[in-house]
Amino acid sequence: MRRVAIAGLVLLVLSASVIAGCGGSSESSSGSADLTFWTGFTDRELGVMKDVVADFEKTHPDIHVKVVGGISDDKIVAAIRGGNAPDVAHSFDAGAYTGAYCSNGAWIDLADYMKQDGLSDDVFPEVPREYSQFEGTRCALPMLADVYGLYYNKDLLAKAGLDGPPQTMSQLMDYAKKLTVRKPDGSLEVVGLDPFDGFYENIAAHWAPQWGVDWVDESGKSNLAAQPGWASMLEWQKELIDWYGYDNLVRWQASAGDEFSAQNAFERGKLAMNLDGEWRVAFIGSEHPELNFGTAPLPVDDAQPDLYGSGYTSGSIIGIPKTSGHKDEAWQLLKYLATDTGALVKMTNGIRNVPTTTAALESPDVKPDEAFNIFLDIFANPNTRTTPITLVGSANQDLVDAFVTKYQAGKVDDLQAGLADLDKQIDAQLEAAGGAQVP
Amino acid sequence: MSRAAEAKLPVVRPLDRRSARRRAAWRRRGQVLAFMSPWLLGFTIFFGYPLVMTAYYSFTHYDLLSSPKWIGLANYRYLFSGDPIIRTAISNTLWIIAVAVPLNAIFAFGVAVMLSRARRGIGFFRTVFYLPALVPPVAATLGFVYLLNPATGPVNNLLRHLGLPDPLWFDSPTWAKPSLVLLGLWGIGNLMIIFLAAVIDVPKHLYESAELDGAGGWQSMRWVTLPTISPVILFAIVIGVIEGLQYFTQAYVASTIAAGSAASATEGANSLGYPLYSTMFYPVLLYQQGFRYFNMGYASAMAMLLLVVAFAVTVIIVRNSRRWVHYQGPAVR
Amino acid sequence: MTSATAKAQPPTFTRRKPPANVRRRRFLVTVADHSFLIAAALVFLAPFVFIVLTAFMTNDQALSPDLWPHPFRFQNFADVFSEAPLWRYALNSLIYGGLATLFLLASSIPVAYALAKLRWRGREAAFLIVLVAMLLPPQVTVIPVYVMWAKLHLVGSLWPLILPNLLGDAFSIFLLRQFFLTIPDEYLDAARVDGCGEFRILTTVVLRLAKPAIAAVALFSFLFCFNDFFGPLLYTGESPDNWTLSVGLAQFRTVHQVQWNLTMAATLIVIAPVVVLFFLAQRAFVEGVTLTGVKG
Repeated sequence: MRRVAIAGLVLLVLSASVIAGCGGSSESSSGSADLTFWTGFTDRELGVMKDVVADFEKTHPDIHVKVVGGISDDKIVAAIRGGNAPDVAHSFDAGAYTGAYCSNGAWIDLADYMKQDGLSDDVFPEVPREYSQFEGTRCALPMLADVYGLYYNKDLLAKAGLDGPPQTMSQLMDYAKKLTVRKPDGSLEVVGLDPFDGFYENIAAHWAPQWGVDWVDESGKSNLAAQPGWASMLEWQKELIDWYGYDNLVRWQASAGDEFSAQNAFERGKLAMNLDGEWRVAFIGSEHPELNFGTAPLPVDDAQPDLYGSGYTSGSIIGIPKTSGHKDEAWQLLKYLATDTGALVKMTNGIRNVPTTTAALESPDVKPDEAFNIFLDIFANPNTRTTPITLVGSANQDLVDAFVTKYQAGKVDDLQAGLADLDKQIDAQLEAAGGAQVP
Repeated sequence: MSRAAEAKLPVVRPLDRRSARRRAAWRRRGQVLAFMSPWLLGFTIFFGYPLVMTAYYSFTHYDLLSSPKWIGLANYRYLFSGDPIIRTAISNTLWIIAVAVPLNAIFAFGVAVMLSRARRGIGFFRTVFYLPALVPPVAATLGFVYLLNPATGPVNNLLRHLGLPDPLWFDSPTWAKPSLVLLGLWGIGNLMIIFLAAVIDVPKHLYESAELDGAGGWQSMRWVTLPTISPVILFAIVIGVIEGLQYFTQAYVASTIAAGSAASATEGANSLGYPLYSTMFYPVLLYQQGFRYFNMGYASAMAMLLLVVAFAVTVIIVRNSRRWVHYQGPAVR
Repeated sequence: MTSATAKAQPPTFTRRKPPANVRRRRFLVTVADHSFLIAAALVFLAPFVFIVLTAFMTNDQALSPDLWPHPFRFQNFADVFSEAPLWRYALNSLIYGGLATLFLLASSIPVAYALAKLRWRGREAAFLIVLVAMLLPPQVTVIPVYVMWAKLHLVGSLWPLILPNLLGDAFSIFLLRQFFLTIPDEYLDAARVDGCGEFRILTTVVLRLAKPAIAAVALFSFLFCFNDFFGPLLYTGESPDNWTLSVGLAQFRTVHQVQWNLTMAATLIVIAPVVVLFFLAQRAFVEGVTLTGVKG
């Protein structure tokens, strides 16, 4: 009985403190210029972002910006629905999400603001200009772009007697096998290249351009089975995975270390080659400056050597969710982040992402860096591709990756039939979601 | 009927006039209404109305940005013939119910019987077995994902030392659900306490007469313990099924953490079900469709299907509830 | 009943000694039981041990086969608090659990009383509906409820989780009603004869008699809120300022890219208060659990 009394007492004390705590926790947004800015960056990159925003606050003393990092598109989408979205939001995945934000007014149309400030979208190169609007609605501005390429560990390559980066898929396979080191018990110590879908940046979308394949046909229907490149790509990946042994590879991954941490397997020399984005250059520079690495375009299908030099790009976009209470001030921040050359150069130098205005791309202030320049070249390559814009975010890509994972695990008997079935599933899913893909 | 209600006698009130009695009746009704009002309101706002709206949304396309658009049976057509994942989600849910519920009951019962027979340290053992049930599910799941890490987890280290096969646990489509079952077994504390109370309350003379009839330990278990505590077993199964239909937290955390420990490209909600949808349970899919993809119409159709199934289960329970809900006799206590 | 669970039955010595072979068999059974219990106890404790050990390890050690931390890294616990605002999360958990529990008690007790101790037509039907509402999965109604809160602009806060408790909670009503039924009517009738209204009877007689049950319900409600993941994820997932410990812990690794040693330290920090609460209120726990079971 006494214990019950104690429990009751504990609860009472707790609830009393709670009521007190509750009054203090309610945040009032009194000042008319308190903005919230959501970005996907974390840690060091978030720090750079905050620096740039601080510069903005200096020139706009009336506007105070709270920067929140680590935000994914899932959260932006949900917050707009829930009515608690920020004033400015930043999405890493224009390809997947521009449609989701522009088609239904989730992010406001910026046309009036641009006209009012005399800002033309000619300041952006063509690719970012396109992926930041949807069917003529400009609800976003591009802010930095990501480009994917191959990172390779020069020391490990030299040790295996290999010279220079591979350029074709058969070379890549050969390299990967030669670079792999197994422990005496057969488990993997160093992996040459890990194409496992879902591992680090390995997803179908990032590999697809190297096989020259498209996602949809002219009418917007899913078009995977009809292009032999898709099947070749999956077979290539599975051959390599089977060579490692599926279970071996999964076990190795479980100890590989998180992608965005100093434990990253490539940075620690446990992974000899890796598909990754341009930002890794800066990560390595800050976390493992001693790493002797090189970058190159990803190898391409042996049958299409002229694709070499291209890659996958996905833009980052920023926009104003319709629930914002300070749209005018938000526009000021948006314009600054997307078009101010100084801001873009600062971000590019700090985060090593690709800047998205012509002026910033040509700015002499962009610090030259051999490893990073490769990505600027890939970005400029005419064969560089992105994913089709849909109304459903990445739901269609999720289906593709789920299928790839299943195939890699050896759970698909007939690849061709599986791809045909996948086409049907994607079309059905998009129909159920109320719209088709836009090629 | 409960005895409590039957036992109440009419209050004797001599010489009451009819109107006074009527007024008293009204007052009583008003009183009941006042006492019941929180529930009546709550039921209407948070149950009745949403139920109707779920039914309505299930015939619409609704993304919470524009108003719902009537699309007839399209959601149900997709539910029953288009959605490639839903069959997996349903079979996973049935699997976890079919495997975890009996296993939990058997295990909890076994521990309870051992405890009831223990001569020493009953308090200690009871605490040890109960404690994991207290661990917040998110924390417990995180702990298990770490313990069962295929490469560096202590469990696989031990297994390798013993020369036993070391499964990939949460990273293997075959082993992910069994890993969740293990996690569930760790947290059987509540069930164990309930079984323990029931087992201890089995009248001793029943065992004594069974022993006189020459029944061994196993037989007296079969013919005395089990029948006497059968209502508790029913209760355990019922609660297990209900919980199985809502299985969410452990699956959500295990899949996102296991997937995220190596993979970031498929981040957040996209790793739900990892690996290979083996941990994609019905409530998880409903969450993904409703609150990640914001196909709220479709998620509502899923909710309707869940309603039908859960309601059927509930009706079965409520029908049998007399055996445990209204029970007031001294035998079990 | 629960007092019986606390004590092992003493062996009865009134009968004559059983024959030697029976005694030997009983002895063996006892040994077997205890060895099983000890083995099972070790297995049950092992996860705690590993979580604690890992919480003191260094980064690299947590990814190695070592079992024993060396050196012990106490810094982990400080690091955890700098990686994520755990105090903030803890405060949110307290706000959610504390307010929800208060509201729930205030609203559920009268309902349970009306269902247990007042006579009126439709009472049994009302109770059945309570049962049904208790047993149906929350996912069935979650979409319109979410839409409702979104339209009220309360998504992102903890209010969608707290406010509904003002209007009763089916499980608590069920539990309290079951307990109220065991209160003899004679007490209430005596109070009625003294001219007490039903409200007075409830606040004086019933509440006094039902203290253990109310404590158990409060405890359960608080623990439910503390452990709840689906609700806070749904409503505060996009508002890190309002995350509870459950959500914050689940996001700890993915958002902050934190290593296992820190994750386990955070896990330990979340487990600790519940375990402490348990040892403070052990009896209320056990009584409460049995109350949810077969008690009429």
